[in-house]
Amino acid sequence: MKCYICAQMGKDSEAVAVCIVCGMGLCMDHAIREEVDIWEGGYPFPSEKLEKTIPRILCPPCYEGLKE
Amino acid sequence: MVSLTKKMLAEFLGTFMLVFFGAGAAAITLMISAGQATTTEFNIGIGILGGLGDWLAIGLAFGFAITASIYAFGRVSGAHINPAVTIALWAIKKFPSRDVIPYILAQLAGAGVASFLFAASVGMDAVTIGGLGATAPFPGIGYLQAILVESIGTFLLMIAIMGVAIDRKATPGFAGLIIGLTVAGIITTIGNITGASINPARTFGPYLGVFVLGGENLWELFPIYIIGPIVGAVLAAALYIYMSTETAT
Repeated sequence: MKCYICAQMGKDSEAVAVCIVCGMGLCMDHAIREEVDIWEGGYPFPSEKLEKTIPRILCPPCYEGLKE
Repeated sequence: MVSLTKKMLAEFLGTFMLVFFGAGAAAITLMISAGQATTTEFNIGIGILGGLGDWLAIGLAFGFAITASIYAFGRVSGAHINPAVTIALWAIKKFPSRDVIPYILAQLAGAGVASFLFAASVGMDAVTIGGLGATAPFPGIGYLQAILVESIGTFLLMIAIMGVAIDRKATPGFAGLIIGLTVAGIITTIGNITGASINPARTFGPYLGVFVLGGENLWELFPIYIIGPIVGAVLAAALYIYMSTETAT
């Protein structure tokens, strides 16, 4: 698979990841790794944020959408 | 991690809502029906307006307040809003010992403040006629019978909590709704037997308010609403753990 964003710019680079939202292939330059907090608990126990996080790979457009 | 102070505040507010709206509904029903002739000795006023429907209405007032509290505060403190639930969770080692007393103090404080604010909102008729919704065994119901009924009522509440909230296989998101409706159902049936407390804090608030504001002294009945709910809740929690534990064959 090739990087979609690089392909749009006329470059040819191998994809190393896939955006979890839109499925776009991404090279190392365009893949954005976002750490998502994990919460455990809820009624009848208080929720607690765990120390570990879950990585989420996003493309730049989806990352910008997520931050809005 | 949420601090203990924030958890206590959540328990305070949750129990406040439970007593203000739930016990308040019982007090209002008595005030509305005041002066009307009762048909039997077993009727003290709740039931004149709509029979068992009076208890359903009171039960739903409790149920909706509990549902709101669970969805609002469940993530903060767990929204026990009931010392019997806190003690039962502690008894099955699902709740830390260090938090038990602070949780119960917050629940009692919330219940007490709710009763005083209800009296302040409605006036002294809420105390002298409505009794602030205080619970007591109905005519012909003995002390031990009342403890038994409170135990059975709280047993059903705790079994529901275990099944819809503690069990990891339970469908998430429904606990608040189901538990609120369970409480409404319990109150509909046992309301006219013991007042259907199934929660020591729910009885503590009106007892304190009525006592301080010059109403009846009901404290001799308080052990009914401590022993019954705690025994019922602990038994239910322990039994559910026993029933749901898988054994190798």
